[in-house]
Amino acid sequence: MKKFFSANRGSLFTLLVLILMPFIVGLFDGASPATVFVNGSGQAKFIEGLAIEIFILAVYAISFDLIFGITGLLSFGHSMFFAVGAYLTGIAIKSFGYSLLPTLGLIFVGAVVQALLFALVLPRVKGITFALVTLGLGSVFHILVMSSEMGKYTGSDVGLQGVIVPDFISPANERLRFYFVMLVVMILVYLIYQRFVNSPTGRVCVAIRENEGRARMLGYNTFYFKLAALTLSSLTAALAGFFHTLYQPIVSPNVAGMGFTVTALLIILIGGVGTLNGAFVGAVMYRLLDYGLRRYIGESASFINGAIYVLFVLFIPYGIVGTWRLRSFEIKQGWERLLKLFGQ
Amino acid sequence: MNSFLRKNFIVIIAFAVMAAFLIAAAQGMEKKDFVITLLRGLAVGSITFLVASGFSLIFGLLDVLNLAHGTLFMIGAYIGWTVVVRPDTFVDLLTPLALIASGFALGDVYPLLASRIRLGSSMRRILPWALILVSLLIFWRILPRYPIAIWDVENYGQSPVTFAFMADSGTRLPVLPAAFTEVTMSSALIGLLLASIVIAFGISLFDTSPRTVKLTWKNFIWFAVALIVAIVGVVFNNAMTDYLFGLNSNWLFFVAVVVATLSGVVLGGLMEATLIRPLYSRPIYQLMLTLGMSAIGIEMVRAIWGRPEFVMSKPEFFNGGGEACPATNFADWWANHCSTILFLDGRVRVYNEIFIPLVGLVVLVSIWILLQRTRLGMIIRAGVQDREMVEALGINIRRVFTMVFALGVGLAALGGVLAAPSSGLSNAMGESLFLNALIALAIGGLTNYPGAALGSVIVGMIQQFIIKYGQIGIPIPFTDIVFKPTPPLVPASTVMLMVIILLILPNGLLGKKE
Repeated sequence: MKKFFSANRGSLFTLLVLILMPFIVGLFDGASPATVFVNGSGQAKFIEGLAIEIFILAVYAISFDLIFGITGLLSFGHSMFFAVGAYLTGIAIKSFGYSLLPTLGLIFVGAVVQALLFALVLPRVKGITFALVTLGLGSVFHILVMSSEMGKYTGSDVGLQGVIVPDFISPANERLRFYFVMLVVMILVYLIYQRFVNSPTGRVCVAIRENEGRARMLGYNTFYFKLAALTLSSLTAALAGFFHTLYQPIVSPNVAGMGFTVTALLIILIGGVGTLNGAFVGAVMYRLLDYGLRRYIGESASFINGAIYVLFVLFIPYGIVGTWRLRSFEIKQGWERLLKLFGQ
Repeated sequence: MNSFLRKNFIVIIAFAVMAAFLIAAAQGMEKKDFVITLLRGLAVGSITFLVASGFSLIFGLLDVLNLAHGTLFMIGAYIGWTVVVRPDTFVDLLTPLALIASGFALGDVYPLLASRIRLGSSMRRILPWALILVSLLIFWRILPRYPIAIWDVENYGQSPVTFAFMADSGTRLPVLPAAFTEVTMSSALIGLLLASIVIAFGISLFDTSPRTVKLTWKNFIWFAVALIVAIVGVVFNNAMTDYLFGLNSNWLFFVAVVVATLSGVVLGGLMEATLIRPLYSRPIYQLMLTLGMSAIGIEMVRAIWGRPEFVMSKPEFFNGGGEACPATNFADWWANHCSTILFLDGRVRVYNEIFIPLVGLVVLVSIWILLQRTRLGMIIRAGVQDREMVEALGINIRRVFTMVFALGVGLAALGGVLAAPSSGLSNAMGESLFLNALIALAIGGLTNYPGAALGSVIVGMIQQFIIKYGQIGIPIPFTDIVFKPTPPLVPASTVMLMVIILLILPNGLLGKKE
């Protein structure tokens, strides 16, 4: 037990901070924990909203990290995974009046089906060609969502709106509950991913990234391992899309576009490609940067976003978490030296 | 013959299916519609080809997927527009750009200078950063105050949209020449020159590998050229502006094409040398870098030229009107320079549907000759096959890389400036065209040069035929229903074709099997 605590000090501390955060922010704002608990309006509610968006982005980014960072498949159609979840949820609730659990079942079926669709092209094309084919599949879905024929269901280029969210989880009145649900979902996803990557299956996925020919030579049928990673990734991304639809008033068709795949790429690049908790760090950095820049600079925010992206690629290629892991020894030494300096 | 058939079985079937589609498409419409649609398809295909060919050359030799290619296409278009509508901006920009470049033109001299300086190791580490900081401060002082006659994106009366509109109707807004006010001319010029030399020296200090340099007059040629350009740009500023403003629109368009292509070449060379080169060992990161570059490029275009769309006017040579138009035969057209010509009863726009495909053909042939008949082309073809072997034979392949990257971006910029009068300028023109080019390459074979041309033409044709059938409708046999393809089907059809072809032939129609 003691060993468990000392090994996971950082994660447990982060978890504690995340649990207490709404109340602490409320205290700074002058609202008592009771007010925060009944979702009184104020700074705490706003921060909860921002955090929910970050959690959704983190779940989406971690799903991209699994197929790009761990398995080494570059897919440019990843936003489709997210958008299928988001749109299926919206259509099922709005047009067919499903309740939440059947909707969840439906998007799981949808996610598995689209993973199989991507798997159809897997054995035929590799590398750049795989990226192009997935880009093609993704843009066909984007065009489908935008087309006027589907407008009755998807709202074409305006976006899907008017999804009625059940009261017990409504983001307007029960935001604190939504916050904790999303936090739990994110942690569960992270634990499952951690388990997957450390399992024998996940090890083979890493081997496929490093050298597919060698993994094949060792007797693994790499197709099944790629399919497993793809399915898990698709399920997770669709789950993120599910919560996106519940949280946002409008599902914009942009989430099906190429730009949203680039967002995932940017997030895991900031956090560190192939490090699972990098997705969370990256999502925090990305969302806060985006929010801050848009607030203080305005329209040209994406210029600075692009510049940060380029600087990261050139100078911090392993991302924040990756660099931390590489340098952790040096950082620890420097820290101790600093402590000694003050101690004397 | 028999073995050829057996080997290329699928490819032949693919061509047969496409030919059957073309014939079927011809049955459904009148002859004049068919001819016009065919020509339009060729025009779209030519522009796509200009982007796709550069992209495929770069990908073939350097293994870099340059996702910023569409953005560079757009930048070419905007630069061309600037030269046509505001030549004074172009002239004003000559001097500062030449001065900034002049310091870097002295590249070979700095190691000699550095070897004379004896410094401690910590000073040696600080010095380059200090030099760069100093020169950036000077740039920051001078560059915003340097007078450049430019439009005002915020003010509608002075915005690019208004300038474009006035230029299209044949008049010009009065343009005031910019003058030195906050800085004196000599201090600005000398400051820029000094800052450029200091920053180039600072950057060269990072490279500590020992080199022996023999100074001859050759090391100073480019420096001298840059200085002369800068001085000419300052002294003859007004004379050059007046000359360009007085120029006939055909010549101005020609100057615009040349300037846009050259700036594409320079941009490409700079991009390869500074950003792409450090990342050859990490290909995925190059891809992400070009993605970031494309986002930055779009934002820069938005900041400089604004968001609204506008058009660039066609040169007079293709823009005639009046009684005799549309021309019925070639001699008639030559006499009046009509904007349209009657061809098999269809009105064909000369610039869009005849001139652009002709340029595309010329580029196709000249690049083909470059690849097949010159030494550089031989090195490129060899490099596509086996890069290490070429390097082992003692050829400086890094320099060839830079040249090919510059050539590819130059081709994209050429495509941009040619497309500007026919399709107009907008912030989104790069992305949509780039997707087309990518599809064309995937269809034709990613690194295959004839494949790029074939794929581009196929993509252009399919899109134009579907647009045309969207107007006239396809009667479905045995029913009364007339099917009209909707606009979203235009991109969707080519994307679906790409996916199908890649699934059957993962290397494209003409790509070689690995």
